[in-house]
Amino acid sequence: MSTAMEQRYQQRLARYVTAMRNEKPDMVPIRPLVAEFTACYAGYTIQEVTQDCQKAFAAARKCAADFDWDAVAGNMVYGWSGLTQAIGLRYYATPGIDLPVNTSFQYLEPGDDEAWMRADEYDLLIEDVTGYLFNVWLPRVSADVSPTGQPSTFRNNMSFLKGGMAMLDYFHNFGRQAALLRSESGTVSCLSGILKAPFDILADKLRGYKGLCMDMFRQPDKVLKACEALMPHLLHVALSGADPDKNVPIGLWMHRGCIPFLSPSQFEKFYWPTLKQIIEELWARGHQTLFYAEGEWNPNLKWIAELPELSIIYHVDRGDIFEVHRAVGEKFCISGGVPNDLLAFGTPDEVKACCKKVIECVGREGGYIMDASAIMQDDTKVENLRAMTDATREYGVY
Amino acid sequence: MNEHTQTKRPPGTCVTWEEKRPEFPKIEGDEQLVKRVWEDVDALGYTYIWQVLLSF
Repeated sequence: MSTAMEQRYQQRLARYVTAMRNEKPDMVPIRPLVAEFTACYAGYTIQEVTQDCQKAFAAARKCAADFDWDAVAGNMVYGWSGLTQAIGLRYYATPGIDLPVNTSFQYLEPGDDEAWMRADEYDLLIEDVTGYLFNVWLPRVSADVSPTGQPSTFRNNMSFLKGGMAMLDYFHNFGRQAALLRSESGTVSCLSGILKAPFDILADKLRGYKGLCMDMFRQPDKVLKACEALMPHLLHVALSGADPDKNVPIGLWMHRGCIPFLSPSQFEKFYWPTLKQIIEELWARGHQTLFYAEGEWNPNLKWIAELPELSIIYHVDRGDIFEVHRAVGEKFCISGGVPNDLLAFGTPDEVKACCKKVIECVGREGGYIMDASAIMQDDTKVENLRAMTDATREYGVY
Repeated sequence: MNEHTQTKRPPGTCVTWEEKRPEFPKIEGDEQLVKRVWEDVDALGYTYIWQVLLSF
């Protein structure tokens, strides 16, 4: 690696970390979370970057090299279908197989009475979460894994072997990707590790959203105990993937905690207590969390404001970013706030005007990271993302 | 008692050392080494199921 490239990397890392500590760097860092956009830009189909993870990694590196971005994710088309196919996951729809070639991969919500976890299985889950996942959940969500007590099959055995090897290979590639981003373009790999809220795990992968909504009324205590049972495991997983240098944050991807999926009172009762404890524990160990507030989260700001200062980077999607800044800008770095529909349907001048306003209001004293509101898929226009980048460099120098 | 009630699996474990240890009548050498390596590799199994749940 050239000395100049390493200097660029160190400069960008310092810029990114300084902003995340809610301080004022030399300029506003740019950290766009680009997913299927990378395929469009690099000339691949969405099927190609979803199924061939090497093309996904290459596309992410091409974007990092061509745009003046400080930090990117190694691969935001994260759900590599090579692995989901190896395991035979039923809840995952793959572009080019189940979906058109240029449609993003989808998670399938289970139908009524078809949830991967039955309504009467809370006690089994609570008693032994990992055992439940292996013995009950995995055989249901996998087309190949045999149920416990049933004869094993060749496909069952191959599912574990291929799934395990594929996961090892895939995660190893993220380390290689971080090194290549650093050496080829001086770009920082922006995240390390993963966190989900206990309630989201119940909604996304176990009971389904509709099933969990019924449970909140029919068996609320079980829902709360299940969240508590999941909590130490989710903390453990987050810590096991966290940046040992404690520079970049753990990614927290939230789905069902916002309006209109949960009312504020449901959020306070079911969603927040266990998630709050995990974030506090991570921060006590020196790890920040990228609080990816996808959707409208402003009605929950009063609870989020209870978190320790600097413990999160608050990413704004559909909430009013100026209200977020007034409410929690003193405590946390803020990122995002450039609407995806503007990036898809607006003009470069409109994008630049929006970025200027956000930088002047939210980023005035530092503690702001430029990004779109939500992860960018195939509808983001190249010229608009370039305008977002250029505007940040034009208006974002301190 | 079914399998769910027989074992408690703390975070990071699938088959705990306490569950595995009785399968060795005798350990001639360094038991702590055997324990550490068992737990390190066991944690990979834990990573597998939890990453399937969270990431895929």
